[in-house]
Amino acid sequence: MRTAARSVALACVIAAATLAGGCATPASSVAMTATPAASVHQIGSDVSVAVSGGKETASMGASQISDEAFAQALRDSIEKSGLFAKVSSSGARYKLTGFIGKVDQPLMGFSLTVKMEVNYTLVDTQSGTTVWTKDIASEYTAKTGEAFAAVKRMRLANEGAARENIQQAVAAMAALTL
Amino acid sequence: MGIGMLLPILMLSACATNNATKAPDANLSKLKTFYVVRVPEDERGIEKLIAARLTAMGYQSTAGDAPKPAAMVDAIVTYQDRWMWDITMYMIKLDIQIRDGTSGAILAKGEVMRPSLQRKSPEGMVEETLGVIFK
Repeated sequence: MRTAARSVALACVIAAATLAGGCATPASSVAMTATPAASVHQIGSDVSVAVSGGKETASMGASQISDEAFAQALRDSIEKSGLFAKVSSSGARYKLTGFIGKVDQPLMGFSLTVKMEVNYTLVDTQSGTTVWTKDIASEYTAKTGEAFAAVKRMRLANEGAARENIQQAVAAMAALTL
Repeated sequence: MGIGMLLPILMLSACATNNATKAPDANLSKLKTFYVVRVPEDERGIEKLIAARLTAMGYQSTAGDAPKPAAMVDAIVTYQDRWMWDITMYMIKLDIQIRDGTSGAILAKGEVMRPSLQRKSPEGMVEETLGVIFK
């Protein structure tokens, strides 16, 4: 009887360790940062960035994209591209808001495709007018060759979809003449 | 035996979750007419359930296969339904997006996730998701 109880306890410890080893990690801002494909036209003012609609990652759930990580990736991408003169924390001439409206993730699979949609709005804080708004859709498929563990593939798919989304946003804003 | 009992209970009783978010400055109270776009893969008629629930909530609502309605509406509704099997098929997750009728930009979104032990009918999932969005 004691041996059976010990075996069950041992099996549970192994299961718990396996589950813990497979815990989901959130999408990282570094991996979501886009590298501009070409040099962009610079808007000679500063910008502040705010994001909503993201989600925190629960350790036993799937990897998610948080507001803060996406906002940081957006800031870093803008700085890297030189699109605005400066990225400020507040009180900037322009305010860029991003609403993460959709992150469509598969429940399981080998190749994991995440489809994402973000609505961006750029407001001139001096006049209060919206100078640009666009709904941008993107997707990324993480294959088994990229990561064996599904939890990691999901994170990579999230990061890829977010990176592609930011890349498109920066390219679209670069076409503005402000 | 404590851990032996605890782990299966934890795994079976994963929590049901629901949440909704609105875009900054989105005003859902202005929306009166809706059009629900059927997902091409959906053969269960979830678009009709969403439209019926919106009608029951007092809105004018239609559904169809076309990505845009024939007549102008205040909002277009899109969704993603996820199903799992556990003795029978059940809807484990439903995401709904409410979009601007003109631009298609997402104004609000809601999601409900219910594991097997806390499963609801598709009608119940639709009701709960729209409930959190229009709360």
